Amino acid sequence: MKIKFTLIFMLICSSLFSKELELGSTLPMGDHRLIDISGNYLSLNEARDKNGLLVIFSCNTCPWVLRWEDRYVSLAKQYTPKGIGVIAVNSNENNFDSVDNLDEMRKHAKENNYNFPYVQDFGSRLAREFGATRTPHIFLFNGDNTLVYRGAIDDNAKDARKVDEPFLANAIDAMLVGKPIAVASTKALGCGIKFK
Amino acid sequence: MKNYILFFSLIMQFYACARLDLVPATADTIMAEVQQNKGTYAVLLNIWATSCAPCVAEFPAIVELGDSNSKLDVLFVSTDFLEHKKKVIQFLLQHGVVGKSFIKSQKDQAFINGLHPDWSGALPFTILFAKNSGNVVDYWEGSQPEIRFKTAIERALKL
Repeated sequence: MKIKFTLIFMLICSSLFSKELELGSTLPMGDHRLIDISGNYLSLNEARDKNGLLVIFSCNTCPWVLRWEDRYVSLAKQYTPKGIGVIAVNSNENNFDSVDNLDEMRKHAKENNYNFPYVQDFGSRLAREFGATRTPHIFLFNGDNTLVYRGAIDDNAKDARKVDEPFLANAIDAMLVGKPIAVASTKALGCGIKFK
Repeated sequence: MKNYILFFSLIMQFYACARLDLVPATADTIMAEVQQNKGTYAVLLNIWATSCAPCVAEFPAIVELGDSNSKLDVLFVSTDFLEHKKKVIQFLLQHGVVGKSFIKSQKDQAFINGLHPDWSGALPFTILFAKNSGNVVDYWEGSQPEIRFKTAIERALKL
């Protein structure tokens, strides 16, 4: 009986590992309304542009976000004019009444010159649907709403000048010219998303 | 005189064992250390960072689990940047951690996949290795209740 209980418990716990959205999947929850720091509602379908959408699961305080977010801004600057929509999604629902509340998000976006929408994901529904586990966690969709890249921004959180492999920029460049993406799935360290 | 020398050497040995050794490591180095315990100790590998609030919150309970199980070896792997080594040492000492601990010295992707292919990179991450077989018994991302740790440890000690 005890063994049975233990096995069931472990099975339930194992299922807590969210499955990362498969490459080739269609953009999920495109019409789901998310509240932006501007106070307006915004959906992923509204955030995307004709050549694609970059979804960045992020937050205000994670040290990996703080190290990497300079690249959110430079990538948005580089690729927004090329028809790629960019959106940062904060799914840390457990912190929505403290460090990740809308006011703190507004302040954070202003201080870090965010040049893209920054939204709250109530119920962490988007994070669960995407299988996003950490911040930052990247999902890139092409103009047909198909997931073509997921994972990390690059291989050096600490220093943008010392990046050897700019995974995400490489993926966007290949996507824009219709070439296959050589490295379409990567991993990096990050803060676990604070689900409720 | 002979007694003094013996006493002195015993004291020295005690300090050598008790001191903290924070070793920069790749996933391969860490897995080799885990496998050295096979047949003698179950191993709880906890990957953490000083800047990770849930890691810091569960840390004392993990230290306690290691202290209360003589057949369990708890290995902590810090993912702080190497330039924060001093802060890591200070944290470990504050929590009474002695012996060998690790700090990541490898690029993220190889490190993550080298420790476990199912690990997404989210912190904290914990793996339990069986005492006799050295096989992975359980693993999880994020914080978990103490019962999860205890159940996994119980199994790891039996297998």
